[in-house]
Amino acid sequence: MAEKNSDFEPNIVAFLCNWCSYAGADLAGTSRIQYPSNVRVIRVMCSGRVNPLFVMNALQQGADGVLISGCHPGDCHYMQGNYYARRRFMLMRNFLEYLGVEPERVRMSWVSASEGAKWKEVIEEVVSGVKSVGPMNKFQRRQLNW
Amino acid sequence: MVEIEKLREIAREVISREDVRQLIGYRQGTYGFRARPAFVTTPEEVDQLIFSPACVNNLATYLTLEEKLPVPRGQEPDLRKVAVMVKGCDSRALVQQMEEKAYERDRIVVLGIPCTGVVDMDKVEERFPNVLSRGEIAMEGDKFVLSFDGKREEVPKEELLADKCRRCRYPTPLVYDQLLDEEVARFADDDYSDVLELEKRSAEEKWAYWEEKFSRCIRCYSCRNVCPMCYCEDCVLDRLNPQWMRRSVDISENTAYHIARAYHLAGRCIQCGECQRVCPVEIPLMELNRKFYKDVEELYDYEPGTDAEAPPLLATFKVDDREDFIL
Amino acid sequence: MNGKPKIGVYVCHCGTNIAGVVNVEEVVQFASTLPDVVVARNYSYMCSDPGQALITDDIEKFGLNRVVVASCSPRMHEPTFRKTLLSGGLNPYFLEMANIREQCSWVHEDPIAATEKAKRIVEAAVVKARRLEALDVKEVDVEPACLIIGAGIAGIQAALDIADAGFKVYLVEKSPTVGGHMAQLDKTFPTLDCSACILTPKMVDVANHPNIELMTYSQVEEISGYIGNFEVKVRKKSRFVDMDKCTGCGACAEVCRMAGRIPNEFDEGIGMRGAIYLPFPQAVPAKYTIDKENCLFLSKGKCGESPKCKEACQAEAINFDLQDEIVEFKVGTIIVATGYDVFDARKKPEYAYGVYDNVLTALEFERLVNASGPTGGKIVMLERGKKKKKKEGEEVEPPKVPKSITFIQCVGSRDKSVGNEYCSRVCCMYTAKLAHLAKDKIPDCEVTIFYMDVRAFGKGFEEFYDRVRREGVRYIRGNPSEIFKRGDKLVVKAEDTLTATPLEHETDMVVLSVGLVPRSDNREIIDLLKLSQSSDLFYLEAHPKLRPVDTASDGIFLAGVCQGPKDIPDAVAQAKGAASAAMIPMASGKVKVEAQTSVVNEATCRGCGFCVAVCPYTAIELVEVNRNGWPVKVARVNEALCKGCGACAAACLSGSIQQRSFKDIQILPQIQALGVK
Repeated sequence: MAEKNSDFEPNIVAFLCNWCSYAGADLAGTSRIQYPSNVRVIRVMCSGRVNPLFVMNALQQGADGVLISGCHPGDCHYMQGNYYARRRFMLMRNFLEYLGVEPERVRMSWVSASEGAKWKEVIEEVVSGVKSVGPMNKFQRRQLNW
Repeated sequence: MVEIEKLREIAREVISREDVRQLIGYRQGTYGFRARPAFVTTPEEVDQLIFSPACVNNLATYLTLEEKLPVPRGQEPDLRKVAVMVKGCDSRALVQQMEEKAYERDRIVVLGIPCTGVVDMDKVEERFPNVLSRGEIAMEGDKFVLSFDGKREEVPKEELLADKCRRCRYPTPLVYDQLLDEEVARFADDDYSDVLELEKRSAEEKWAYWEEKFSRCIRCYSCRNVCPMCYCEDCVLDRLNPQWMRRSVDISENTAYHIARAYHLAGRCIQCGECQRVCPVEIPLMELNRKFYKDVEELYDYEPGTDAEAPPLLATFKVDDREDFIL
Repeated sequence: MNGKPKIGVYVCHCGTNIAGVVNVEEVVQFASTLPDVVVARNYSYMCSDPGQALITDDIEKFGLNRVVVASCSPRMHEPTFRKTLLSGGLNPYFLEMANIREQCSWVHEDPIAATEKAKRIVEAAVVKARRLEALDVKEVDVEPACLIIGAGIAGIQAALDIADAGFKVYLVEKSPTVGGHMAQLDKTFPTLDCSACILTPKMVDVANHPNIELMTYSQVEEISGYIGNFEVKVRKKSRFVDMDKCTGCGACAEVCRMAGRIPNEFDEGIGMRGAIYLPFPQAVPAKYTIDKENCLFLSKGKCGESPKCKEACQAEAINFDLQDEIVEFKVGTIIVATGYDVFDARKKPEYAYGVYDNVLTALEFERLVNASGPTGGKIVMLERGKKKKKKEGEEVEPPKVPKSITFIQCVGSRDKSVGNEYCSRVCCMYTAKLAHLAKDKIPDCEVTIFYMDVRAFGKGFEEFYDRVRREGVRYIRGNPSEIFKRGDKLVVKAEDTLTATPLEHETDMVVLSVGLVPRSDNREIIDLLKLSQSSDLFYLEAHPKLRPVDTASDGIFLAGVCQGPKDIPDAVAQAKGAASAAMIPMASGKVKVEAQTSVVNEATCRGCGFCVAVCPYTAIELVEVNRNGWPVKVARVNEALCKGCGACAAACLSGSIQQRSFKDIQILPQIQALGVK
């Protein structure tokens, strides 16, 4: 894959739960922790809201990678949402890998509201993972211009 | 093998009942080997019913597929029971449908067929080209017996058996009101060799494999329509607002369709193989479904369509579900 | 209002916080090219009054019906700008915020990359804003009444507080009397107040309070509904004694043929009672109860010629035909105060509890030292299982007094082998108290305590622990491995871990300081109220720090040890907290319910119940509706119960259930906007 070069800046869509991970990402901000700008966030109330087909949709719509982040097990604001998310994404990630979508493109993390520093680590890990597999070039939607 | 006379006798009894409005079984197809669904509403129609190794269709599909036309004003809906003939694999569709509350157990009468296996028509075609349209097939002991053009061919069961039967764990129906024959013991297990083989490939090889398969798809939706588990009133996959995928037939939309279809069957597919059987462009759909099936069994010790009381797989969790993939 | 979207985009500089990195003019320029954007502006501080006025003025001037504010985190100022919209005459849910500060300008230094990202964030907000819908902020009325389950000290205190504030209280207690475990105690640590002296006035108060309806010997059978409107069904078990007629004189108990033959639960089985009994003299209500399992007449149909109790009762209160009574009522809030069980010492077979007569649990010992207990407060050696049949003229040998008593702490606490990792918090101190009482009552008694650590963390605890040690109680650090008998003596085998010396300690009596465990019938309440449990199996509070008396279900609160081990003052404090929390919605008379709830498209719902199964709040149920003349089941959301997590929306295969403000139709455009390179 010729495109796997150091200039490649991946585009990553992240789904964050409002109570833990979004707050953790906010804390990284208030702490002025610097991290790569490749990740763009969609806020949902709970990781349990994230339909695994959003992952498929994001990869189709041009994302090179997707991240889902929720509260640590036992900490879900809605008690159970992250447990549902864990099952759904375990299966979806395995399935996409089976189709040839590198597992580096589909990541999940637990980031609490106090883990601003962990948020940075997660982002760095996800970004470097996606960089290592290069741009998504499998089933993304072609932009039609006519 | 089920005796046809016994089958018809029981069917006649059932359709004569006042509380049964329809019986769904098999009848001879238009051409030779083929069987097709029979929708019997009167005792007179019972004599058309058959069962043979050609009866591959999963009739559970028709329970959920039946269109409920608006009831004219002043009339009552016909809420009588529907009787259905099911093989072992098909019965799991009933169990799964009931787990999903598609109907109550007392709405159906189940005639269970302990199944010794059905043929794979493609394998027959390959072995005896162009005879499918004239002839008959029966099972005698561990052989399929094909009769056509005045000839009689005996073929070891193994050679023409459908793939799903080779790994069938439940040849005897899991749910029934009447069993039409002696129970059949489990004669095989699933080693997932097909899935394991694919899993071993590199990401590039996998995608090359699937890209070729998906690019063939003509989006006829036969796989969805024949599936006993796909019975939403309004499928999200062809809804316009929101539009999850476009209708254009290209690798991007086709892939999205196949991901969504397979994911929607995760923890629900009961391995009847109908999707793959009906695919006009020979996409190995079961290899998709079976990846989920294998993972669900390995990770969550869950086998769809075996327990109508079980909670739906993705609507439940265990606190210690695996999470080593999570950062 | 829901016509063609007209969107205003407002990009905040936040002084230099945003504008120092992000090129706000460029973002505004970009935003103005986005579909349906009518006006795009930037301003130094959008949250200031002039900033907010920009929005309200534009709503009027351009007829805006959607607003995007690109500034700080919605967790910071979403409430502020929702109010702005409201004051401008727009539904507050027509706001979408783009977080370009915490998640952009503060974390990226490169102005080009940060500006690029800010544009994407703004675009995603705009495309979502196009799809936003007006939501109603609904309120429900709150029934000014509270159900309290359990009438131990926590339930009693909560009941009194709420009733004193003027609200109706239904106090339901399973056993025949209120008081709970505290009523069994002799003294309380570390102050040595007499437990009964401080508790019984409160017990009497709950029975007499005009606002409290006390239901003892009763069980909650069904609860449905939600905050403000719970429907409760309680079974009042038959006592076979007419509560109105019984005077509590006790004549019946004296003549009961079973008198003295049934272990009294209240005395932990050390004392005996009859089939008709009052658990203890100060029981409230002071009404007798017939225990139907043990009553000869009720269990065997025959009690001599005729039941003696019935003859003895001059008030004619005894009625063997009395039936259980079901009462139903409505409450706005619920407090669970069901308390605890003590650890079953039989689960530590090495301590031979249940084998040797004089291995006691601390609660049994408590009854021994209690002046109203079976021995009148005398600490004596026990001979269990022997019926004291007094023959006329026979000298009864007085029971022996122990010369040495040994306590073992942490029995069933901090012990992974029995599945209890937690500390029970009260055992160190009650052990010190019981040791003190033993010394007090038998001054020459040798008192020894085996301990792992002494946790004297509370007010006055360390001082009390010091005092007890000075009184001559010997503390040995070590966890005994075995108790066996040698001659008349019990031998405690242990290692003094401070000197690393193995030892065999001889003693007359061993008291096991058993820990507190969740009640064995916890499941009943969990099933009734859908409560969660923490890993120690006590009920789970909504937040360990900031919502310690709340549960995940609105309107349901926790008080006392059912939430986790605690001593009396902590239980009382929590009860007062729970009472005050329960009074908030009752006092205001109304509660706001979540607006971003789920909603079902009944036309496409296939009634599979996946959403019902995932909902942590039992907010969704399947109901039968008529679809073209056919009866079909579809999901329906109870908006008062829905907390707006959206788990149902992700579980639904047909997309028929959606979470307001987070619908697929709102999220998919966001994905598209963010996906563009």
